[in-house]
Amino acid sequence: MNQAPAIELRALRKTYKKGRELVHAVNGLDLVVGRGEVFGLLGPNGAGKTTTVEICEGLTAPDAGEVRILGKEWGTGADDDIRARIGVCLQETKFQEHATVEEVLKLFRSCFDDGRTVDDALALVSLQEKRSARQKSLSGGQRQRLAVATALLGDPKLLFLDEPTTGLDPQSRRQLWQVVRDYQSQGGTVLLTTHYMDEAHQLCDRVAIVDRGEVIALGSPAELIRSLGAQHFVVVDLVDADAAPDDASFLSISDVSAVERRDARVECTVASVHTALPAVLEMLERRGVEIDGLSTRHATLEDVFVHLTGRHLREGGAA
Amino acid sequence: MRWRVVKAVARQCFLEFWRSPQAVFWTYGFPIMMAVVLGFAFQSGQAEPVTIGVVDNKVTRANLAKLEDEPLLVVDWLSPADADRALGRGRVALTVRWSARDDREVLRSDPSRPEAMLARLLVERRLRQASGGEVAYVPPAHEVEDRPGSRYIDFLIPGLIGLNLLGAGMWGVGFNLVQMRVGNLLRRIFVTPMKRSEFLAGYLLGRSVLVIPEAFVIMAFGVLLWGVPFRGSLLAALTLIVVGGWVFTAIGCLLACRARTTETIGGLMNAVQLPMWILGGTFFANEGLEGPMRWAAEVMPLTHVNRALRDVMLEPGTLLDVWVPVVALAVTGVACFSLAMRLFRWQ
Repeated sequence: MNQAPAIELRALRKTYKKGRELVHAVNGLDLVVGRGEVFGLLGPNGAGKTTTVEICEGLTAPDAGEVRILGKEWGTGADDDIRARIGVCLQETKFQEHATVEEVLKLFRSCFDDGRTVDDALALVSLQEKRSARQKSLSGGQRQRLAVATALLGDPKLLFLDEPTTGLDPQSRRQLWQVVRDYQSQGGTVLLTTHYMDEAHQLCDRVAIVDRGEVIALGSPAELIRSLGAQHFVVVDLVDADAAPDDASFLSISDVSAVERRDARVECTVASVHTALPAVLEMLERRGVEIDGLSTRHATLEDVFVHLTGRHLREGGAA
Repeated sequence: MRWRVVKAVARQCFLEFWRSPQAVFWTYGFPIMMAVVLGFAFQSGQAEPVTIGVVDNKVTRANLAKLEDEPLLVVDWLSPADADRALGRGRVALTVRWSARDDREVLRSDPSRPEAMLARLLVERRLRQASGGEVAYVPPAHEVEDRPGSRYIDFLIPGLIGLNLLGAGMWGVGFNLVQMRVGNLLRRIFVTPMKRSEFLAGYLLGRSVLVIPEAFVIMAFGVLLWGVPFRGSLLAALTLIVVGGWVFTAIGCLLACRARTTETIGGLMNAVQLPMWILGGTFFANEGLEGPMRWAAEVMPLTHVNRALRDVMLEPGTLLDVWVPVVALAVTGVACFSLAMRLFRWQ
C-alpha cells in the first residue's frame, strides 16, 4: 500500500505584520518529506524555519498553500487525529517548576489514547535516574531530553524538533542525536530545524536550506557539498598580511577555484588537495612570503550555506 | 471530555500548589494573619477616644479647659496655623477656636469624616453641660455588645473566607495560566490531543479542590481562637465554599483566557478584585450603600458569597435558606467558564 509522504507543503505562504511593514516569513515554499527520513531545515534567524514548522504542527495557519501531514490536512476535521500521530518539541518549553520528570510525562501521556509507557519514554531519553527530580534540578540537556520524551509519548509517526540542541553542551547534544537515531531506526520520521551544520550533517538524510521564506537548496548533505564543485580547502596563515599575494596569483593555480581572506589568513577552495597544496606552497616560496601555519579541511554544509546565502547569489537572483 | 485527562491536569495543578511555599503562605498564612490582626484590632470594648485641636489663647484656656474632662476626647492645644495643619492632615478630627467678633466658639471639621461628627457631638454636649443647659439630663446606661455572633470579628471571619476564595480562586488560576502561556507550556499542550475543555476543566477542578481546605482553615481558626459561632448547616457551608471557589476560579480563567503577559493579568485581576475588596461586604456591611454603589455591590459575587456564609455561620442557615445565592453563583460560574472556553487562546 502506498503511504502518503510524512509532510507535503505546496506554495506555502505566511505574512506577518511587523509595525507597518509586512514580513514574508514563508514565501511560496514547497517541500516533501518522505516517511522514515530525518529531514533538516537549515537557515539563519528569520529565514522562516520556525514559521514553517509551526504551520506543520498546526500552531500557525498559513495565508495560502497546501499542508498535508501524514496525508491529512489541518482544519478539515482531522486535527485530533494528526495531533495523536505527531510529536512536537518546541524551541523552549517551561514545564511546571515543581513537577517531577515522571509527573510531566504522566500528564502528557494522559492526552493519548495509545502510546508508550512513561517507563519506555524515560528509557528512550535515558532519564530513568531523574524520574523523581523536579524541573529546577535538571540541567539544560536533561530538560531538553524531557521535552523530547513528552514528544515521544504518543508513539508518533512524525517528530518535530525545533532547534533541539541550541545552548546545550557537546555531550548533551550527542545524547539527543542518539535519541533521534534510535527513533528513526524504529521507522519514525523527523523534521528538524537547526543552526548547527554539523548537527544537520550528522543526523539528516536530506536537508533544505531556507532563506527569506524559500527553499534555496535541497538534497542530502553530501549532494549539497558536492554541488559546490570543490570539496576541499587549503588554509594558509601568513606572518605578514600585507605581504600576501593578490587573488589572481592564487587563482592562476589551476586547482584553485576561489580565494577568501580574513586578516592574515587566506582560504583557497580547491578540487584536489594533493595537487593544489604543493602548487600553493611553491608560489608562496617563489614570492618570498613567510608562512605561519598551514591546514586543509573538507567542505561542510557551513560552506554550502555561506556560498548560497552570500551576496553574489542574491545579486544574481539565482535563488 | 475524557475524565482521565481532566484528573491528570487537576492532580498536577494541585501538586504544583502544595509544593510552592509562597503559594501556600499567601493562601493559608496570610488570611490567618489578617484574621489575627483584625481580630485584635476590632475586639469589643471601650470606644477609642477622638482627638480634637483647640486654638490656644487666654480665652480658650479659660473657657474650654473643661473639654479635657470628657473621657472620649483628647485635647491638643495648638497655634492657629498648627490647628489648621493638623485638621488638614487628619491628626485631629475637629478644631475649636474662639471668635471674639461673634463672642462664641467656632468648630471646624470635614463632615464626611465619621469621627468628625462624633467629636462635634461630644464637644457640643460638654459645652452644653458646662453652661447648665442639661440640668435634668441623666445619661442612659450603656452595655458593650460582646455576645458571640454579634461582634465585629463574627462579621469579619465569613468575609475573610469569601475574600480568600476570591483571591485564591482568581490568582491561582489566572496568574498560573498566563505563566504557562508565557513559558510556551500552553502551546506545547495545544499540539497534543488534549482538548481545551479537558485542560480548563482539570485546572478549575484542581483549584476548586484546593479552596475547600483553605476556607475551612480560616473558619476553624475563627471558631477556635475568636469563638465565632457556627450555627447553621455544615453541608450548606461546604456547598457555598465549593460554589464560591468555582465562581472565582471561573472568573480568573475568563480574565486569563487571552492575556499574554503576567503584567496584563496582574492589572486585570486588580481591576476586578479591588472593587470587590471595597464594596463586597467583607470589612463592612454593604447593605447601607445607596444608588449606583449599592447596585455595583449587589452584582458582585463576593457580596453574595459573604452574605450567604454569614447566614450559615451566624444564623442557623441551611441549604434551603441559601439556595438562591448558591444557584445564582453556580450559574455565574458556568457563564464565565463557557465564555472562557470560547475565548481561550493557547498562544
